[in-house]
Amino acid sequence: MKLRSALPTLIVLAMAASMAAQSGPVTNIKGGHPDLSGTWLFSIGLPPLAIKKQTNGATSIKGIDASANQGAAPANVPGARPSQPAPVYKPELRAKVKDLADHESKTDEVFYCGKPGTPRIGPPRRIIQMPNEVVFLYEDISGDPYRIIPTDGRPHKTDGNPTYYGDSVGRWEGNTLVVEATNFVDSTWFGEDGYFHSDAMRVTERFWKNGTNLVYQVTVDDPKVLMSPWTMAPRVVKPSTEPLEESPKCTEADAKLLVNDDHHGQR
Amino acid sequence: MPKIINGSLVLAAVFTTIVLVSAHHSTTAEFDVTHKITISGTLTKVDWVNPHIVVFMDGKTEGAWKFESNPPAWFRRVGVSRADFAKAIGQPVTVEGNRAKDGSRYGYLLKITYADGNSLELVPPSSDR
Repeated sequence: MKLRSALPTLIVLAMAASMAAQSGPVTNIKGGHPDLSGTWLFSIGLPPLAIKKQTNGATSIKGIDASANQGAAPANVPGARPSQPAPVYKPELRAKVKDLADHESKTDEVFYCGKPGTPRIGPPRRIIQMPNEVVFLYEDISGDPYRIIPTDGRPHKTDGNPTYYGDSVGRWEGNTLVVEATNFVDSTWFGEDGYFHSDAMRVTERFWKNGTNLVYQVTVDDPKVLMSPWTMAPRVVKPSTEPLEESPKCTEADAKLLVNDDHHGQR
Repeated sequence: MPKIINGSLVLAAVFTTIVLVSAHHSTTAEFDVTHKITISGTLTKVDWVNPHIVVFMDGKTEGAWKFESNPPAWFRRVGVSRADFAKAIGQPVTVEGNRAKDGSRYGYLLKITYADGNSLELVPPSSDR
C-alpha cells in the first residue's frame, strides 16, 4: 500500500527529472505535464524606444522588454529544433512574394488593422491549461482573440469554416505541448515579408518550459506554395506580472499619407 | 492654434537623432525625420486608438494639428496612460515632432511639454541603460 500510494509521487518525480534533463528545471507539473499556465510577456513588435519623463524637476527613463518578439539561436535554447532564416517558396512563386513584400503597406491586411492570424500573432499573452484543453488569450493591435485547443485526442473538425487562427488540436510529446492548426483563411501572411499561404497551410506550434520561461517555436508547412516546411527560430518568453488589458480599437489613418511602400515592421 | 514658436513654424535644421521605427509603418515613408517641428497650442483631444495614439491641438490661425505617436501598447509598457495626456485637455502644450511629408498639419509626436513644465519624450532605447 505504501508503495502504491507513493507511486504517483515517484512517477511525477521521475518525469520532473526527465524534463529537467531535456530543457532545464520545470517548476510546475500539472496532470503529468509541465504547467504552461500563466501570463507571458507581450510579444508584439513595438517601437524600440524609451520614454523620458520630466516630472517636477525629476527625470526618469523607461524602456520596454522586447525579448519575446525576438528569435533566439536554437543552439542556445534547450529542446529547440534547427531553424531556417526564411521559408523557401516554389520557384514560380518567389516573384509574388517579393512583389507583396515590396508593396507591403498596400498588400498586407495587418497594416489595415487586419487580424494577423496564426502564427503571425506569436505566442499567447496568457495560457490556461486544463486536463483536456488549453486556452490561449491574446492581446493584439487588431483585437484580442482567443483559442480553445482540445488536448483530449480528438481529431480536427471536418465541418468547420476557414478562420484566421485555424482549427487547433493539441497533444503532448514528452514535455512539449504540440498544437496543430489547419483550415485557415488564405488572406493572411505567416510573416511580414510577403509570406502568403494557401488554404492547405498547416501550422505546428511547440510550447515548452525552460526554467520559468516559456519557449515557443513554429513550423509552417504548405505543400501548395513551399518547397519544404519552414521552422522559425524559437522565442523565449518570460513570465509577466502585467495583467491582460483590452486593446483599444484599431483605426488605420496613415495609408493616405505614405509617400512610398516601405515596410511597416509590425511583426 | 498652434502658436508658432518664434512667429513661424520652426523647421529645425538639425537631423532628428531619433529615427523612429514605428510598429505600424516605416516612419520615413510618411514623416520627414530629418527635421523637427515645434508647435504650441491648446490640447483639445486625445484618441487612445491603435495602431497609433492621436493627439489633437487647436490653433487660432493655423487651424487644427494632429500628431500621432507610438501604439497604446507601447505607452502602456513604459507606464504612460491616456490620462497622462488627457489631463492637459483645454490647456496649452508644446509638441515637438516630425511633420508629414505631404505637408499637411499632421506629425509624429516626439515630445509634449505641459504648462507646468513637465514633459514626456520618446528617446532612444539606450537612454535607459
